Amino acid sequence: MKRFGWQSLVISSLFAATLAAAQARPQYGDTLHVAMRTAPTTLHPADSTQPDSFARRNLTLLMFETLLTTDSSGRIHPALARSWQAVAGNRRWEFRLRHDVSFHDGTALTAEIAAASLRAANPSWNVSAAGDSVVIEREIADLELPAELALPRNAIAKSAPDGKPSGTGPFHIVDWQPGKKLSLAAEENYWDGRPFVDAIEIEMGRNYHDQSIALELGRADLVEVAPEQAHRASMDGRRVSSSEPMELVALLFTRDVVTPDEKLLRDALALSVERASMRSVLLQGAGQPAAGILPDWMSGYGFVFPMETDLPRARHLREQVRAVPTWTVAYDPSDSIARLLAERVALNARDAGLSLQPTAGASADLRVVRIPLAAAEPWIALANVAAAIGLPSPKNNGGSAEDLYSAEQGLLGTKRLIPLFHLPATYGAAANLRDWSPRPDGSWNLADACLGNEKQ
Amino acid sequence: MHRAVYNLAIPNMLNCPLRSGSSLTAALRTSFLVLGFVVGVWAADWNSPEQQLARKVAAVTGPGAVALTVENRSSLGRRETEVISNGLRAALEAAGLRFVKPEQAAATVAISLSENSSSYVWVAEIRQGANEVAVVMVSASRPEGLPVSHESVPLSLRKIPLWVQEERILDVAVLEENPAPEQIAVLDAEKIAIYRLQGGKWQQQQASSITHARPWPRDLRGRLVPAKDHLLDVYLPGVFCRSSAGTTLALTCHESDDPWPLVVGSLSGGGANFPSFGAVGGSPLTITSMRGFFAPTRNFFTGALTPGVGKFTTVAKYYSAAFVPRDKYVLWLFASVDGQVHMVDGVSDVAARLRWGSDLTSVRTSCGAGWQVIATTAGDPDGDAVRAFEFPDRDPVAVSAPVDLAGRITALWTEGKGDSAIAVARSRETGNYEAFRLAIACNQ
Repeated sequence: MKRFGWQSLVISSLFAATLAAAQARPQYGDTLHVAMRTAPTTLHPADSTQPDSFARRNLTLLMFETLLTTDSSGRIHPALARSWQAVAGNRRWEFRLRHDVSFHDGTALTAEIAAASLRAANPSWNVSAAGDSVVIEREIADLELPAELALPRNAIAKSAPDGKPSGTGPFHIVDWQPGKKLSLAAEENYWDGRPFVDAIEIEMGRNYHDQSIALELGRADLVEVAPEQAHRASMDGRRVSSSEPMELVALLFTRDVVTPDEKLLRDALALSVERASMRSVLLQGAGQPAAGILPDWMSGYGFVFPMETDLPRARHLREQVRAVPTWTVAYDPSDSIARLLAERVALNARDAGLSLQPTAGASADLRVVRIPLAAAEPWIALANVAAAIGLPSPKNNGGSAEDLYSAEQGLLGTKRLIPLFHLPATYGAAANLRDWSPRPDGSWNLADACLGNEKQ
Repeated sequence: MHRAVYNLAIPNMLNCPLRSGSSLTAALRTSFLVLGFVVGVWAADWNSPEQQLARKVAAVTGPGAVALTVENRSSLGRRETEVISNGLRAALEAAGLRFVKPEQAAATVAISLSENSSSYVWVAEIRQGANEVAVVMVSASRPEGLPVSHESVPLSLRKIPLWVQEERILDVAVLEENPAPEQIAVLDAEKIAIYRLQGGKWQQQQASSITHARPWPRDLRGRLVPAKDHLLDVYLPGVFCRSSAGTTLALTCHESDDPWPLVVGSLSGGGANFPSFGAVGGSPLTITSMRGFFAPTRNFFTGALTPGVGKFTTVAKYYSAAFVPRDKYVLWLFASVDGQVHMVDGVSDVAARLRWGSDLTSVRTSCGAGWQVIATTAGDPDGDAVRAFEFPDRDPVAVSAPVDLAGRITALWTEGKGDSAIAVARSRETGNYEAFRLAIACNQ
């Protein structure tokens, strides 16, 4: 009988060299370490006092779940609700819940609890429970309700007597130090399958530099990367992944246009902005120049909004106005890119004969804003941008691309907003973090992620 | 696009593949999917959006002379772009437009073939004199891609498409073939469905639900094993199901930690001996009917074996196992969870990094050495491939070219007859699960 020993088992180098390793099956176990800039002080999904961010949305969906979810194409899929229907001309919606779901405190998910959670998140909605269904009644037809329910802020939460929210998601809270650290553990009996990793440790309030160091030293497996640093990080050999451009960077006027002169000056400012050079110099090639609210990948028509600089026309418009005020443009002092953009916009404006004064103060005529688009579903994204800047939300009455274009054009026609760029959400990941990548909308699913053997 | 009906009736609202909440009615949908997959022909019909856009453009310009440009900003190929461009020209002409040079035109029409995350978007920007640009647009649905296959030498490993569906496929069993498969059983997280090929289309004949008390683990695995006195046995983590003996498919499932078969019936000692393979001194080799215990809440085998390989009744935790008959013993290969392949011959257990994936299985053929191991290897950057290997001595030797499955391989099991395997991959293009039969052909 022929036997072999360890010494004899040598795979030919040629054989080994010609084959890259195949993907192994996902492995169970280990603790995933995440770092982020966001430092929320509460974890409740619907807490509107906390600023919206991709990180906050992702945090929410580790612990909480929505009735429905969307895929990378914006299509709706069942989650806590296994089916749904609309009646009465899309004004009454019924969502049948799954029967096998429990909160982390052991309480079974019921329609009453889900309805209470949605009522708290949306005080203007008429939400009730009927048997195993949640019923939502709207005054007017609401075609976007399913996509709206897939937003993390509509995740179902049950408040414990001590006020702490409990969810049904793949991870439960082990330790929570508001604004600093969150420790999560895999939910063994999670209805959609226990996550692969045993635990997640999340460090909050860490700036990009600290996150980068943590990743380099092996103290973090997943960190955020500033979009303008993505190219450099990639050149340095880091594993960098980005979503589709999902964050709108824009100039937002703090009040409506009052006079025709004001409209001319705002148009002149929009025509003076040199997006291409800002992108190549300030953003290091990240993101996409934008003159529309929705990115092209989401709408399919973003290119029709003119974004070329036209100084002659800008000057022509400016010259039609006799008294030109000096505008102040505010930026978030903790956001270095916002400051650079404000300064560059001021320079561009000067070339058109306009006067802009950058300021880190809170009060200004216009601001550099960064608005994370709410969802990959364009109507939801558009409506949420409108809400964020205090304009009436456009309603989807038919769902055609042309209707969407008209709605977006209507918002831009208010002259409140001058879009500049769409930026992606960018992340750096350890080499051994497997089965993880950001979705087009910037969300990530850590329940499917695992840590492989090839720890570095 | 947005209709107010129950989700199952809305084509876009298909169940998420990673979720386990599918229902039997979903099987009906899959028959449409598989028809497209097997027939493999998708003929795009651009006529409707062409006509729509032409009508919208003509409504703005009216009949007359226009300068037309068509630019492709989407993932459409050159050929398709030409087809659409010609179709648009014809539709615009039919609507009363004539095409002239820009300097002779009353209007310019710039058509962009664009796309968003769910569909094509064709946009026409119309300039008429000093008027503002008018923008009209239409949407067109986008087809899904089809996989490609490769040839290989010195043996050919061929992949034969069997089934595709959105829900995760755990295993497929071919129940009848003549010579191509005519009846198959498809196992997913919630059911077994039996399909028959009738008039070139797969039609669902029967389906039976799988009952389970506990949530399934992530990366769910399962195996269909054809039986002699009834149709099928079904092995799932912590659950065993047995079909009824009659013609009606009815499953009886119960919680079970019974070990899963690692050698299919036709290859095991209970079923047959193989005088052609591994016979020494006229004495045919018998493969012991080995079984492995599967962790009920995980995606791997615990390592416990019955009856065991020589002195080993336990090996490292593993994802899959294959075997290679030798002259007087059987060499077992276990793809362990630590990424190594453990080679166990009954006396020694030697671990090696072969740069294989987690799935391997054995097939017995009339080619080459008679026994091959099919293992997952690296394929395209975003996908896995399978490749056949032989073990003439101690080291594996590739005997086929890699066959790309265009996605992550989620299952690889030897078929009941033992001479082919079933592979399931999740398409990186569509996200659907695609099941293939892997058959080895001798290259003479």
